[in-house]
Amino acid sequence: MITPQNLLHMIKAVIIDDERLARNELKKLLQDFPEIEVVAEAANANEGIEKIDTLNPDLIFLDIQMPGKTGFDMLAELDKAPDVIFTTAYDDYALKAFEVNALDYLLKPVEPKRLADAIHKLQMEEGKDREAISEDEIPVNRSLLHEHDQVFVKDGERCWFVKLSDIRLFESVGNYAKVYFGTNKPLILKSLNALEERLDEKVFFRANRKHIVNLRLIEKIEPYFNGGLLIELKGGEKIEVSRRQTVKFKEMMSL
Amino acid sequence: MMFILLEFMSDQKVTEKLVEQILVMFFSGMIATHLFREFIRKSNWLMLPVEKAFPKFLLGIIIVCLVAGLVRVGIINYLELTNTKKKWDFSTRLLFATLENGLFVIPWTLIYYFYHYIDKSRKQQLDTLKLEALVKELELKTIKSHINPHFIFNSLNSIRALIDENPERARTAITELSNILRSSMQTEKQETVTFEKELNIVKDYLALEHIRFEDRLRVEYQIDDNTLNQPIPPMMLQTLVENAIKHGISKQVHGGTVKIVSDFKDNYHEMVIRNTGRLNGSRNEDGFGLVSTRNRLQLLFGQNANFDIRELNGNMVEATVLIPRVDSY
Repeated sequence: MITPQNLLHMIKAVIIDDERLARNELKKLLQDFPEIEVVAEAANANEGIEKIDTLNPDLIFLDIQMPGKTGFDMLAELDKAPDVIFTTAYDDYALKAFEVNALDYLLKPVEPKRLADAIHKLQMEEGKDREAISEDEIPVNRSLLHEHDQVFVKDGERCWFVKLSDIRLFESVGNYAKVYFGTNKPLILKSLNALEERLDEKVFFRANRKHIVNLRLIEKIEPYFNGGLLIELKGGEKIEVSRRQTVKFKEMMSL
Repeated sequence: MMFILLEFMSDQKVTEKLVEQILVMFFSGMIATHLFREFIRKSNWLMLPVEKAFPKFLLGIIIVCLVAGLVRVGIINYLELTNTKKKWDFSTRLLFATLENGLFVIPWTLIYYFYHYIDKSRKQQLDTLKLEALVKELELKTIKSHINPHFIFNSLNSIRALIDENPERARTAITELSNILRSSMQTEKQETVTFEKELNIVKDYLALEHIRFEDRLRVEYQIDDNTLNQPIPPMMLQTLVENAIKHGISKQVHGGTVKIVSDFKDNYHEMVIRNTGRLNGSRNEDGFGLVSTRNRLQLLFGQNANFDIRELNGNMVEATVLIPRVDSY
């Protein structure tokens, strides 16, 4: 029975797999999980991106090997990644990526027990996140990335899911942006200007032409010559704030 | 000997002392060379390369000669076997004895060393041959038994979905999959199979892939019936068709065609696999399928077989295998 209570916790899911039978099989398995509603299917990465953009699902089931683009490539193209459960048949390359990054994955043919575990784990994490984000914090503007949103970052063979709140710095490198989090700094194919537009300006501040810093991860601030500022981030990076931006920075901080 | 003869040269009558002295010499020489041999064996000098062994043997020879000389002079002195007429001092006699021992010990060492050297290198050659044969056998085995696990699990997954949708097709799919698995296991024992047998496996394989890819995969056959009983290396056609799917069809959003041709060309049995797709340079060249195909043909036919893969007019890849035609079959 659908009550408003469990409607609230319904998980909207999209299945992305190039094989119709594989999608059917997964849908069939998901019938045992009434809280999961499969809102769409996609047969390749481009279709997947389209469905994700229009339907904004909470969860995607994603095949790695697909014609055109792989599942990893598809995720890297998304501005923000929904929760992902990878599905793959035996695949050395993909399995290595999973082991390194502890991503959740299901091996086809999917074992119902494993599927239940993966969904359960997801619900637990969802619950934690929901507690962490208070109601008023949830952004009205959906196109804006919230700091609790996660992005998928792929650099060569390595890939990560990163919470925006864990990223301390974006640095412009030609057409790419270098993303600093933990001890990693992979490159993503996105311009700093495009990123700035999508990022929450209350958290991410454009310090100068080449850098966007996370205001929550600043270690200390020192005055710099020419009326500018020098920010030291938690990771030890020192970023100069341009004179023009310093004015803006002080305004924001004084609020 | 020289030393003994020298000592007795001035002496007119050859006494029994001469015989005794020769006996002492042989006795001391035997003991010294035996000890030397033990030492050589214990310290593994025979395993050393020539340039390292040479100085060690040289030093060894000098010491052995000296020791044998000492023993000999000592015994002779003790038994008073010297020629009484010529009284040479001890060190001169030791020097003579040592040099004389060298005359025996050096050839003995050389013979000993080279005998073992030749023996060793012959054994080494034999070992290398054995190893090569083993490697060849293992290579053939691993190449043959290679069936892509990705394919197996994907097939099982589609079959599971088919059980509800089309139980009849699910049943035949299981038969097809069993055939492939069985033949991939059996081929480990055989060097060649008939083309017909291999083609049946490929047909089963493509039927299974058709379940997965549905209308994204189109298959065409153009088979000269006379080629059906030609012997070919097992699982070779299969590997190439698998490649055509993996690198060709599965990468095409709208799918494509796989065409298999088998006919005679001059004195060769020609097999061609054509598929939609592109040859992406180095990555495909190094792929397991192509390398293993080349290696197998090389191992089985030497220079008499040929394998070639190339791109045709933009969106087609053609792999061609030429192997000698066998008429007795």
